[in-house]
Amino acid sequence: MKRTLWYSVTVRDRHGKVISRERRRSRSMLGNWYRILYGMMITGCCSMVHTSGNSWGTCYLQDNWDFRGDADVDYKSIVIGTGTTAVTIDDYKLDTQIMQGTGSGQMRHLASTPGWPSVVGSDCSFLTSRVFLNNSGGSITVRESGIYCRCKGPTYYGYACIVRDVFGTPQAVPDGGSITIDYTLGITA
Amino acid sequence: MTKGQERKKQPKKALKKTGRVLKPELSYKVEVTDKDGRVIQREEGPSRSYVRQWNEIFQLQAGAVASGGVVKDTSGATQTGAYRSSRSFHCDAGIGYDRTGLRVGKDSTPVSISDYALGSPLAEGASIDQVEHQLTYFTGPLVVGSTLSFTIQRSMVNHSGTPISGVQEIGAYIEFTAAMYGRVALGFRDVLGSPFSIPDGGAITVTYTLKVTA
Repeated sequence: MKRTLWYSVTVRDRHGKVISRERRRSRSMLGNWYRILYGMMITGCCSMVHTSGNSWGTCYLQDNWDFRGDADVDYKSIVIGTGTTAVTIDDYKLDTQIMQGTGSGQMRHLASTPGWPSVVGSDCSFLTSRVFLNNSGGSITVRESGIYCRCKGPTYYGYACIVRDVFGTPQAVPDGGSITIDYTLGITA
Repeated sequence: MTKGQERKKQPKKALKKTGRVLKPELSYKVEVTDKDGRVIQREEGPSRSYVRQWNEIFQLQAGAVASGGVVKDTSGATQTGAYRSSRSFHCDAGIGYDRTGLRVGKDSTPVSISDYALGSPLAEGASIDQVEHQLTYFTGPLVVGSTLSFTIQRSMVNHSGTPISGVQEIGAYIEFTAAMYGRVALGFRDVLGSPFSIPDGGAITVTYTLKVTA
């Protein structure tokens, strides 16, 4: 059985020229991915820590796993950070997230929508991509990425970190440049 | 030669591939017991595959799809109006209910990404080649070290009066929503290494373990 999650990172300068690229198998789907799945399968609830740090849990809900990202939104969809702490199964947020904005250490988050699944040969996969622009006035080094999705516990709505990766190579994004993160979720029979 | 031509002639740099392998795993265990509860046949191993509907239903959720999703149901009908729902992946099937939950069958055709049902599933009942489906039972997610796992288990009892031989496929039927709640799709399917035979009064128990290791 092959169920895979790949990510690729592409850094461009202010002229759109690719200056760095990395592609690897994702370090990890996190435990939260499976906690949400469990709740959906049993149409019940499960304990889980949200990105806020609150133990609000997860219950079956139509919004679960929604990781579309609107422009300027940094609490959902693909997210990036500067942390280097090794991934653990119970991570519930990025180590040090880069927030939306144009201030020092901030990047502009563009919109993101998961693509439709396609079947090629014995593979079925879909791609989710997001671009981050650095208009902070200085270089920013990105070292981690992940996916935050919508979820809801018995009482409160929130967001869950379901994927987190620490890059093999830190990616320096120059002022005026951008970084694109692609996640591809695939199944091979 | 122009600069543009020179650039075209340069070989493309291969994308850097590094790092440890992600480990989302699905494995199964199948046991047949006789009427006295003795285990008489057993097999376990890594699951052969999720099938395409698994990813398609997940994408309905991830993309918050409100309409227009395409998922083939277990009847072979292509549902073109699928959308996200609180029922996606539901497979917590009750006693005597064979539309969802874990199922077994007699087909031995290798798994394909486009499988949409078991090839020859055993129906609910106590007649020839029928089994009585028990509750689909889950154990909650458990973290041990860097691994989180949970299990799905279901027993099916043979009260048909004769042995049921040639049981060689297992899988999970999961719900999704299109036009109405309660559509059912195949989530994963496995073909066993050897055929199983369930004696009259005996049972077959299938256990899947879903596991992810960081």
